[in-house]
Amino acid sequence: MSESTREQVMRHLETVGYLQPALHKPQHAPYPDQIDHNLYRAYTRSAHDVGGEPDVPITWEEKEEEQWELNTFATCECLAWRGVWNAEERRRRQNVDLGQTQYLGLPYYGRWLLTAARILVDKQYVTLTELVNKIDEVKRRHEQD
Amino acid sequence: MSKIEHDRTHHAAKATGIGDPQCFHGEAGPAKFKVGDEVRVRNLPDLFYTRCQVYTRGAVGRVTEVVYESPAAEDESWDNTDQPEWFYSVVFRQKELWPDYPDLYENDTLETEFSERWLEAP
Repeated sequence: MSESTREQVMRHLETVGYLQPALHKPQHAPYPDQIDHNLYRAYTRSAHDVGGEPDVPITWEEKEEEQWELNTFATCECLAWRGVWNAEERRRRQNVDLGQTQYLGLPYYGRWLLTAARILVDKQYVTLTELVNKIDEVKRRHEQD
Repeated sequence: MSKIEHDRTHHAAKATGIGDPQCFHGEAGPAKFKVGDEVRVRNLPDLFYTRCQVYTRGAVGRVTEVVYESPAAEDESWDNTDQPEWFYSVVFRQKELWPDYPDLYENDTLETEFSERWLEAP
């Protein structure tokens, strides 16, 4: 049993590797028989579970947090303190729920910020209409400066 | 418009002044494994959310510490906190995890944490 699980794990790691360069292997709305169990598992896995995937080295930069990143962290902690979410729900939303493309494609605190906005809409603290109007208002104010 | 009631304040209230996971101390019952036990990582479905790394599935390691009690990530991430579990620190030989790991470094190990549901006797 264990051996076949290990074989499965290695095959899974190889398969999720295919998903990363989606540009090299485009796939849109496939028919059911085009998705075998191996691919199904790869698509439905938690996007943050990347340990062991084949990948290329990334450049390490010695860099301080930017002000908006610190503000984002404080905002998310306040949301926890005020009972909007707990830390594990925040992680689920910012590491997994947003999907693999955004998980790999956005900066770390970009995911935090997007998720903070999303939970306020999901739990009806603000409406999407209010959020969109506010973003539009701020954008126009910023363009005038 | 109807609004669903999402109550997360109970968690903040429970952990304030005590800490998390300390606030779940004494709620998991007896631990199934002890330090030194060999354990195998179960191959449970990992749909929607987990923090159990896929590369550990099916691998056999040894418990180095019975760490704390807490709701498992899969529960806590939807605010289901009524059934805390024991968490274990487990050490694996790198060779057990990565078949191509060079024999030259056969003593290398990797240590990581699991909630009890992910472990079974080998």
